[in-house]
Amino acid sequence: MLFGPLSTSLAPQVKSSRTLLKWITPIANWYANASGYRKYGFKYDDLLCEENPEVQRALSRLTPREAYDRAYRLKRASQASILHAPLSKEQWMQPSEDIRYLKPHVVEVMKEEAERKMWDTVAVERK
Amino acid sequence: MLAARASTARNIQRIARSFATAVDTAGVKVASVNYNQPTSSVTVLVKAGSRFETKDGVANALKNFAFKSTAKRSAIGTVRESELYGGVLSASLGREYLALSAEFLRGDEPFFVDLLTSFITSAKFTRHEFEEYVLRLIEADTEAAVENPTSRAIDVAHSLAFRSGLGKSLFAPAHNSLTVADVKAFASSSFTKGNVAVLGTGIDQSTLSSLVEKAFASAPSASTTSSTSPTSYFGGETRLQSHHGPQTVFIGFGTTGSPSASLAALSAHLSPAPSVKWSKGISSIATGIPEGTSVQTVYLPYSDASLFGLLVQGSTAAGVKEAGKVAVQALKASASGLKEEDLKRAIAKAKFNAASASDNREGLVAALGSKILGGSDVTLESSFSSLDALNTSTFSKATSSLLASKPTYVVVGDAHALPFADELGL
Repeated sequence: MLFGPLSTSLAPQVKSSRTLLKWITPIANWYANASGYRKYGFKYDDLLCEENPEVQRALSRLTPREAYDRAYRLKRASQASILHAPLSKEQWMQPSEDIRYLKPHVVEVMKEEAERKMWDTVAVERK
Repeated sequence: MLAARASTARNIQRIARSFATAVDTAGVKVASVNYNQPTSSVTVLVKAGSRFETKDGVANALKNFAFKSTAKRSAIGTVRESELYGGVLSASLGREYLALSAEFLRGDEPFFVDLLTSFITSAKFTRHEFEEYVLRLIEADTEAAVENPTSRAIDVAHSLAFRSGLGKSLFAPAHNSLTVADVKAFASSSFTKGNVAVLGTGIDQSTLSSLVEKAFASAPSASTTSSTSPTSYFGGETRLQSHHGPQTVFIGFGTTGSPSASLAALSAHLSPAPSVKWSKGISSIATGIPEGTSVQTVYLPYSDASLFGLLVQGSTAAGVKEAGKVAVQALKASASGLKEEDLKRAIAKAKFNAASASDNREGLVAALGSKILGGSDVTLESSFSSLDALNTSTFSKATSSLLASKPTYVVVGDAHALPFADELGL
């Protein structure tokens, strides 16, 4: 992927401006709900493209509980997809529970990779 | 020639005196010795050996966590940066101490002292590092220990001899339930200032002191030390089936209290290792044992107990039985009294062993670690004078009281064919 496994995001810039944050937050919430993944019981990080080494490594760092819950959500959503219908409303993902459980691990892995690359290509000077 | 001898003796005395006394620096004990070696080394000793562990194998896990990420640098940064400096990092675990060492060129000490101390003050103990790297190292340690009959026999002998405390294994159980939280808790309880000593070789005492002071300036001032109940000796017999390596029998005896000179002399007296290459040596064990077998003396002094033993190894169980009989006979003979010149020879050998051990770095750390953390003065002279004070009557008294205790008897190999303790005359 062009910008790494997490793609690009303007969220840090938006968050740094209070006015902008106030304007954009309702739109962002509407958009997240409208995209429909919550109706299938997903968290946003379940949709992260996992077919690359960084995310695979991040997935291996989840706690056993987190990994189990993720697999459960994926299975439940597959079943819903076969039935061509969203889950019943009480099974929808609540916005409060839709947290980025995988992103911190991916960021950590990417940092490690960057550091490895830095040490592999570092130019040493004797002071 | 005599003059030359006398000057060597004086040199030894001078070196012994110039060995730094432990200085308290920001609550941490620092000792350093500088013979103008071309390289320097710094060892951080922590009272976090297997003796103090709260859960089986957690000390081994902590050892294998050494040089992983800290608040100052990541694991890869630690390795790559010390490679750029040309240093060598190592961690080793004893029953009483965990030693983290760095060897490096003179002048690079600010970096390496910072590297070692940052593990003590700010190690991160991340869960993913534990699962991705440390667990495998723990497993490898355990597997290597099980496959090596010597280390297995001595490890089991400790647990028979001392049960808890010093009897705890250096290795994690093969199927353990260690978690990173256990390691973290063990580290936070043992990485306190009172538990840490820094030993340097080839580095100025004042330089090392100032570096250590800077490193521990921000560390919490709690200076509690790890403590366990005093060791007592039990002894016992066990037989372990093993298909790796030579047939092995360990015949050991333990004492409590601080290590005595008579045990060092006994070990030197019984040791069949020849002083001249390609010869058999004149010890009664060396001349008596059959071909294809070997006997080694094992003398392991700890702060409040010591274990002395004979490790008999051979390719066949029958040969080991013969050699074991000879070894036990020699042990009993030395308890019933030693000739004056034999004792003199043993004392000279023990003195040489003590002196040459403090020649290399590992020996220095092993010999001085307990003394420094114990807070006593650090000299070779004291161990020399206690060896000199031995005479035949004190020696035979100490040895016979040692043999009066219940033996620690461990068999590793073909457990059906190897001899029982009473078959060797114990």
